[in-house]
Amino acid sequence: MTTRFEEVRRGALEKDGVEIVHYEPQFPPGSKSERRMVRVVSLIFLLSGLFAFAFVAVYIWWPFTDFPSVKGWEYEPGSSWMKGYTPVLGLTLGLALCLLALGVLTWGKKLLPHEIALQDRHDGGSPPDERRLTGQTLVFVGEELGLNRRPLLKVALLAPIGGVALAAAAVPVGMLIKNPHKPNDLLFETGWSPALNGGNPVRLMHEDGKPIRPEDVSVGGQITAFPMTKDGLGATNKHADSPILLIHLRQDDAELLRANTVHQPKNIGGMYGNLVAYSKICTHAGCPASLYEQQTNKLLCPCHQSQFLITDNAKPVFGPATRRLPMLPLGIDGEGYLVGLNDFNGVPVGPAFWEKPEA
Amino acid sequence: MVFPSRTKRKILAAARMVAALALAGGIYTLIAPGAQASQGLSAAAEEGKALYETSCISCHGNNGQGVSGRGPSLIGVGSAAVEFQVETGRMPAAKQEAQIERKPPAFDSDQARQIAEYVQSLGGGPQVPFPGNDAPEGNISEGGQLFRVNCSSCHAFSAGGGALSSGKYAPPMTGSTDRQLYAAMLTGPQNMPVFGDNQLTPQQKFDIIAYVQNMKSDVDPGGWGLGRFGPVTEGIAIFLFGMVVLIFTALWIAGKS
Repeated sequence: MTTRFEEVRRGALEKDGVEIVHYEPQFPPGSKSERRMVRVVSLIFLLSGLFAFAFVAVYIWWPFTDFPSVKGWEYEPGSSWMKGYTPVLGLTLGLALCLLALGVLTWGKKLLPHEIALQDRHDGGSPPDERRLTGQTLVFVGEELGLNRRPLLKVALLAPIGGVALAAAAVPVGMLIKNPHKPNDLLFETGWSPALNGGNPVRLMHEDGKPIRPEDVSVGGQITAFPMTKDGLGATNKHADSPILLIHLRQDDAELLRANTVHQPKNIGGMYGNLVAYSKICTHAGCPASLYEQQTNKLLCPCHQSQFLITDNAKPVFGPATRRLPMLPLGIDGEGYLVGLNDFNGVPVGPAFWEKPEA
Repeated sequence: MVFPSRTKRKILAAARMVAALALAGGIYTLIAPGAQASQGLSAAAEEGKALYETSCISCHGNNGQGVSGRGPSLIGVGSAAVEFQVETGRMPAAKQEAQIERKPPAFDSDQARQIAEYVQSLGGGPQVPFPGNDAPEGNISEGGQLFRVNCSSCHAFSAGGGALSSGKYAPPMTGSTDRQLYAAMLTGPQNMPVFGDNQLTPQQKFDIIAYVQNMKSDVDPGGWGLGRFGPVTEGIAIFLFGMVVLIFTALWIAGKS
């Protein structure tokens, strides 16, 4: 009588051409060292199970909130048992899974026999008769579809093929046809455009919609301002390209900037007193450049560390940005509120695009 | 001969010291050319003046007018700025550098307020509107909103601070008292922008303080906040630690037993 191993070995050789050349248990069966390894693996599995049960127990019974405390279910800062809830859940479940994996791996590496098996690769292509049979099958299926015998189907098939092709082409081709410069020049026009506001200059406002007076910004301070557009959506994503940083410079810095505007003629006269406003959209990748250093007068963008020098027409002095932040010329309306006079003097805000003029 | 006890001797010595100081101060005020500056000073301001003249005068000038190349003018900066700078140990500064850092203060807060009172008398300026260290109660959720709009770009969402240009940084708010937070917003120390009362009303500042203190009083989930800098440090930590663990696990699995 052949053993099961002999049967498997012969079968593998005859059916699949796999030859087992070396097969050897790691320990003599029933030996002391084998029993020890079995105990180790069992212990690991046992621990894994224990941690899994601990996970369930923690999930059910851990004091999940401070309840019943004085404040009821309210979250309380500071140290308490509830703060351990998530870490302990993660720890118990993580250990349960890790130990399960460790147990299985140890079983495989330490208890299973060493084996070396050989199998020859197939050489060359399939035999000629098999190749011929495959070819015949394909041709036969094609004939059975009967496209040549049923011309109506052939014509009808053109409809879905053509339709789907058209649909696939629509998006890429459509993007080439739509003109972003018409009818409104989206890339050159922001919420500050007087044209969108009935020809009147657009007021600056806080995020909550309050208009801004010149004295609202402290010397050395800054405010993020939005356009008070007619549609009332100045601080929303509809005008996501419009936020500005309104800065109140110190006297010396303001004079320095006023003198420097001659290098950037579009900015001449753009300040109101010592107030200056620049687009908040970084010219590199469009992040909000809002880290204002009031002593050095640098404006930093947190995304890629671009730095702009406020006192030199927001010239980029460090980092990947290569264009200045456009300045919004400021003025004041009849009621004493700040307004943006001209839509960044026609300089487009934000990152570059193909037809963006040098600025 | 009777020897006075140790305590007695100490008290006597202290009394002599005070008397000598008072005498010296009195003579100084009589003969000093700038005697008019100290006219009408409150008692605290007088004390502050004395401290000012030992610790601040060399950089900020004898009347707070500033010394070119060493220290700025203090006229008009107000008591809030002085309190913040002195109480957090930033002033007196050890040396000129990219950023003057928080360090153990050289004066206690009473002395800091005395100096502040003196500087206030030089030319006015912003003052902290509440006595003591604790701000009036604020609305934490309103404060959170305001913090995210006004503060988080530099100080990070968790008040852990962050980098600025050329070695400067927005400091973490650990250890800041209500009063220091208020004074910092009001005066804009170093490169921090000023948030005057037109920009953030006192109540809004109290809200922000309430939010910051609430956030600080909480523990870090998992026990280690990694400086509360946020996703960058956390990402690096888990990447380095996790990668090492994964690589060694993979080596162990694939290794011959």
